[in-house]
Amino acid sequence: MVRYLARRLGQSLLTIFLTVSTVFVLVRLAPGDPATSYAGPNATTEDLARIREQFGLDDSVFAQYLIFLRDLFTGDLGTSYSFHAPAFDVVMDRLPYTTTLAISAIALTTVVAVPLGVWMARRADTNREIGANIVTIAGQSMPDFWSGVMLLTAFAVLIPVLPSSGFTTWGGLVLPTITVAILQMALISRLVRREMAGALASPYITVARSRGVSERALTWRYGLRNSAIPVLTALGTRFAALLNGVVVVEVVFGWPGVGSLVVRALETRDYPLIQATVLVTAALAILVQLLIDLAYPLLDPRVRLGKAA
Amino acid sequence: MSTALDTTATPSPRPSAVSARQLAASTATRRARAARLKLWIGTVCTLLVVVPIALAQLLPLPGPNDQDLGKRRLAPFTEGHLFGTDQLGRDVLSRILHGGQVSLTIGVLAVVVSGVIGIVAGAAAGYFGGWVDSVVSRLLEAQMSLPLLMMLLLVVALFDPSVPVITSVIAVAQWPEVARLTRSLVLVEREKPYVAAARMLGLHRIQILVRHILPNIIRQATLVVLLLLAQAVLLESALSYLGAGPQRPFATWGRIISDGQDYITTSWWLVTLPGLVIVLLVVGVNLIGDGLRDRSRVRRTATEGN
Amino acid sequence: MTRFTPPILGRRTLLSVGAGLGAGLALSQLTACAGPTGAAGPGTISLGLNRSLVSLDNKLNQFEAAVTVQRAVRQALTSIDQNLRPQLVLADRFELDEASGSWTVRLRDDVHYSDDTPVTVEDVATALRYYGEVNGSFIVGLFPEMPTVEPVDDRTFRLHTQRPVAVLDYLMANIHITPAAANEPVELSSGVGSGPYVVTRANGGTGEYELARNDRYWGPAPSLRNVRVRFVPEESSRVVGLRSGEIDVIDSISPDSADQLDGMRGVRIQRSPGTRINQLFFNFRKPRGHPLADPAVREALTYAIDGRALIDNVLTGSAQQAEGVVPVALEGAARTGAFTYDPRQARQRLDALGVRDLAVKIIWETGEFAADTFIMEAVQEMLSDVGVRSTLQQFEPGGDILQWRQGRRGDWDVLGNGFGNPTGLALTSLQGMYAGTPEREETRDTYQGFVYPEVAGLISDATAEADRDARNLLLTDVQQRIWDLWPCLWAFVPDAVLAHRTRMTDPALKPINSYDLASVALEG
Repeated sequence: MVRYLARRLGQSLLTIFLTVSTVFVLVRLAPGDPATSYAGPNATTEDLARIREQFGLDDSVFAQYLIFLRDLFTGDLGTSYSFHAPAFDVVMDRLPYTTTLAISAIALTTVVAVPLGVWMARRADTNREIGANIVTIAGQSMPDFWSGVMLLTAFAVLIPVLPSSGFTTWGGLVLPTITVAILQMALISRLVRREMAGALASPYITVARSRGVSERALTWRYGLRNSAIPVLTALGTRFAALLNGVVVVEVVFGWPGVGSLVVRALETRDYPLIQATVLVTAALAILVQLLIDLAYPLLDPRVRLGKAA
Repeated sequence: MSTALDTTATPSPRPSAVSARQLAASTATRRARAARLKLWIGTVCTLLVVVPIALAQLLPLPGPNDQDLGKRRLAPFTEGHLFGTDQLGRDVLSRILHGGQVSLTIGVLAVVVSGVIGIVAGAAAGYFGGWVDSVVSRLLEAQMSLPLLMMLLLVVALFDPSVPVITSVIAVAQWPEVARLTRSLVLVEREKPYVAAARMLGLHRIQILVRHILPNIIRQATLVVLLLLAQAVLLESALSYLGAGPQRPFATWGRIISDGQDYITTSWWLVTLPGLVIVLLVVGVNLIGDGLRDRSRVRRTATEGN
Repeated sequence: MTRFTPPILGRRTLLSVGAGLGAGLALSQLTACAGPTGAAGPGTISLGLNRSLVSLDNKLNQFEAAVTVQRAVRQALTSIDQNLRPQLVLADRFELDEASGSWTVRLRDDVHYSDDTPVTVEDVATALRYYGEVNGSFIVGLFPEMPTVEPVDDRTFRLHTQRPVAVLDYLMANIHITPAAANEPVELSSGVGSGPYVVTRANGGTGEYELARNDRYWGPAPSLRNVRVRFVPEESSRVVGLRSGEIDVIDSISPDSADQLDGMRGVRIQRSPGTRINQLFFNFRKPRGHPLADPAVREALTYAIDGRALIDNVLTGSAQQAEGVVPVALEGAARTGAFTYDPRQARQRLDALGVRDLAVKIIWETGEFAADTFIMEAVQEMLSDVGVRSTLQQFEPGGDILQWRQGRRGDWDVLGNGFGNPTGLALTSLQGMYAGTPEREETRDTYQGFVYPEVAGLISDATAEADRDARNLLLTDVQQRIWDLWPCLWAFVPDAVLAHRTRMTDPALKPINSYDLASVALEG
């Protein structure tokens, strides 16, 4: 167990490290200059040169990378150019908004998609189920920016009951949550259907049924329990992916989370901020993934960590 | 309707000698019917979008960039503009169809590229194992933990936002899915007797992989590729919504929507209609992909049942 | 002003998850007193800015709406009023000594900061020094040179410059004064000011601020108790937010938004002729012999642009075609000509000049001005009507358009560019755009290669001219000369437009696209 954990942590750290390094190089290869974004288009060449020196952009990319690593080990992610504040703090100012949105979207997804998937598995291939199936397909076929704008038009313009942007009231959470959850609900309900259909067709269900276990218990206690691992894994993976940025939805709803922060950091070529955002979100996503893996044995005693891989 | 419900209420594989085969058959029939229905609806939706796009040049429509500043933001069905006009008086339908040509081209090309990369990498990882597998698996994992859209925006900024660049960016975003599936299929296939036999015959490993294993999995792998086409179209529109699309005045779906978003309080059609077209196409492609997958499953269970 | 960060001990590296789970707590604070759609309560108004207010300091971060909020907390010696004239704020004397060219300034005797400490000469000297020390400050660029402070007594001081700067009273409106001990040569994220409001909550990361009335304000008390500032990046969201009453004021709105909000119940629109000029500027780095190096060709091309249609349809009447090289509302601006639409004449002139198969490349950055992409697409069609092919190249923010503008990446012919003006002086705009010299062109630091030494010389003379009439005469002459060079394919001056809920009184919008927050009150 400890060795497994150590190995997993090692792998995770390596992945995070590679990710951040890739981003580090990539942002510097991309055209555009932080100094220009910082000082505006009418700044003089002399000004720009001084700013570049101040940001340490005159060194070679490799030298900049070494400095970055050195600072990283002392827990310093640099100062954001556009916010004039530590990049890590700026990300932390924004992170609660993204986690709130991710948690509420996954909660909504779980509440809707799991029962829906179970229902679809039990009613597989009936007319109603085919209808529901097509609806879920439509759910995963909608561009999120479009469904977001549509919801916004409906509930903030035509019937103005909800705020259109930002998070100044809890009502502001409703539309972004639904927009994010549409796709997640579609994916998860289809997964639940598939897993449940498989579980319900297994021999132990047949045995249980022949021993007179009620249909309700069969479905919820035996079937769902045995589909729990793949479903929970999927929910966890979706959650991790959401932490990594619900960029488009955050842009549409002016949600002050890390997704819209990344877009802005890219637009201003704010290198430290881009790096900090990627580091924090990737670490968080991987951590969530790790927690899910650790939860396996609790859900299914057959799984023993360390031997599975 | 009621009969269908009845059959489900009765558990399918019952330890009764009489009807086991019949029930299996009936499940299969129902599944086949569902698959057929999906295929039909999917085909209709897809064709509804694809045919006009393919014929866009032949249809009696104004050019996608023909402006008439005096006829700005006309509602649908006015003055011969079926979908209305946009903020510069251009015909929205024409822009959607011509934009669709760009979006579809990018989608199809991207899927072909990602399919090839994914199958090659996945097959190699699954068959050779060892360090090849480690490298591919790490890459897959790393890509999972990356903020995908952000990376795509970065790469598009890195090169100019041209059709080839956007195509390859989407392809790179999508190969993991194909690779993962191919890898798992190959892992199963590798242990089958025919592979051992081929090895005994002294065939080269690459020969075994290419000549014997790949043909057995390619069908299932290509099914996923079709589903990826739908995703590619969505991804392309998201990128151009965020500004990373081919240079203006090219109309792409994402751009038409983001341009129209400033007018949601007055001109609903500028956002709604292009979005509906995207949804129709993507639903269609997804339904076809789903239907085909269901059908292949029906076949497999049917043969296993027999 | 303190940054809003959850109070977690030590480095918070490992507490990301904790922060996430604590999100509910942290955010419920934020959402405390608000109605269902987030409408602000009584005594409070909320502003929706389209750019993020990173801090309440303007050393680096200068845009019009920000100035509105920044001035409510920190004040300057003077301010620019609605007629674009300087008014005294912290000073009660601000006089030019024509003989020496230096200025004498006296601080009011009753001004003090929100913590009751007085505003001192030392504070002004420190502020000026630190503005000058910041790299890449927009403000410093407005000054021909930064003045130095020579104290006379504890309230009076002199401002010295090498060459006389006759408009220092205008320029000093941009230097915000902070207690010297709390000032630094960086963007300040905390500290006190002398303004009518104090900051009660600030989150630079999300651009959200709450201001409360400064109970110890030295001037007349403002009527609003609280002001909330929010960052709402999407224009459509700002419009929707204002419609529903979620936001009370949105500024710098696009012509289309104004069009959508016009005549809506509960919403009023304020307009003011603007001080920003948006141009389709020709590339002045074309080699000799290139058609565009010839003013006659540039003039011929201007006839192809239907400016009236662009103003009426694309800009929905929220702008004026330029009648000079700088906006006419500016002090010292002159009307020097007009753009005419006459495609036949464009063709004829081009033919007469022997220009055939002209192809031009138009570049611009997304969001450079309102409706930028639509204007460019429309212009492309208009040019093709006179037989001129054009390609558009749009740059996303953060891209390398500067490299292109300087001609280091690729060739271009027309640039879409906006030039703002926070001082109200024609001189500032002329200086920024047309005072290029061969020396500055060596580093490509001129405005798209516009280098005409006699023009630059006249502008420099005008800067030093103390007599207002003589100065304006010089300026008129130089503006006519510039106009006759036809630097723009087309140019327009957008109105400063602001929309607000009728529950508050009309904010007096100034041409510099800013207003005095303290003068706003709630109706009834």
